[in-house]
Amino acid sequence: MKAGGAVDATDKEASKPIPIPKVRVSRVLSVLDFTLRVVAALGTLASAIAMGTSRETLPFTAQFVRFRARYKDLPTLTFFVIANSIVCVYLVLSLPLSFVHIIWTAAKNSRIVLIISDTVMMGLLTAGASAAAAIVYLAHYGNSSTNWFAFCRQFNSFCERISGSLIGSFVAITVLVLLIIMSSVAISRR
Amino acid sequence: MKSTSGDSTTINISESRNKTVAKGETPYVRIQAAHPMHDQKGGWKKGISIFDFILRLGATAAALGAAIAMGSSEQTLPFFTQFFQFQASYDDLPTFMFFVIGMGIVGAYLVLSLPFSIVTIVRPHAVAPRLLLLIFDTLALTLNTSCAASAAAIVYLAHNGNSDANWLAICQQFGDFCQQSSGAVVSAFVAVVIFVILILLSASALRKV
Repeated sequence: MKAGGAVDATDKEASKPIPIPKVRVSRVLSVLDFTLRVVAALGTLASAIAMGTSRETLPFTAQFVRFRARYKDLPTLTFFVIANSIVCVYLVLSLPLSFVHIIWTAAKNSRIVLIISDTVMMGLLTAGASAAAAIVYLAHYGNSSTNWFAFCRQFNSFCERISGSLIGSFVAITVLVLLIIMSSVAISRR
Repeated sequence: MKSTSGDSTTINISESRNKTVAKGETPYVRIQAAHPMHDQKGGWKKGISIFDFILRLGATAAALGAAIAMGSSEQTLPFFTQFFQFQASYDDLPTFMFFVIGMGIVGAYLVLSLPFSIVTIVRPHAVAPRLLLLIFDTLALTLNTSCAASAAAIVYLAHNGNSDANWLAICQQFGDFCQQSSGAVVSAFVAVVIFVILILLSASALRKV
């Protein structure tokens, strides 16, 4: 038994490994959060523009098939463009708040506000992208049971355009999921 | 020297004066002081955990109900015409199959997450179960929204059709099938809303204050 408990304490603390300072991990998470937000904003912007400018006019006219295709012809694709635009604007507006988190890593309530809005926007974006994906799948394959014709056979470049515009949206969904997880880890570390 | 363990704080006082204590022995005086933060906020976190558990039960019912309602939707018309099929079931549309499988996975995840929710009720200050629940809730929310939205797009098409693509509205013929699949989609969106609330609850309960 040693005299005085202070000697015991310093011996124990000296044998422990030095932990990474909490501020540094939080700062790395915040910088990563900011970068991913920029990536997601670019993805949704690209998707909205690609779908919004999709238009094809066939040089000939067939008997039963329309000869012009636009995204406005299908309400689901319109919803896709609107959802991507809303999420893009939200992500750009949330960049300053994310930047503040890099500087002020002890923020708690603002991170929770960010998680709430990120979750709602992720739900909206996933809804838009999944609905558009269902319509694009129908456009490629049609459905024999319901007599729905696959119009990709006629409108090749329109079809390619709307299929490719889904990619940016799904990348943004993945990024938003990562952002929510990172923000929650950052909250739990304080 | 002060050491903090759990809910009590131990302050060791070493006697400097030579009393009737044997040489080399230092009497310790333990002062039990409850951690002020834990007592005040423990009830609040426990309340959130109980609410989380109740909501999780509701979401399980909604998700499994949606899967079962869509999976059992099948209608055979008593007549048949030249151009239309006389039987409609969920596996005629691959999107509805994705819906049934996806909602089944979400329902199974919710059932498996109930024990973790009980753990957060019993131990309100443990961070790991709550963080785990939040991460998997986010992934389940994504899958749930994806299934519900794609099925909603098909149901919208079935109700309204699309004149530009020459897609006919099949709801005119298959009324019961349409109603059941629409109800399943609504139930899936109810589960989505409950998931969003669950994520908010877990995030607000993760704070250390």
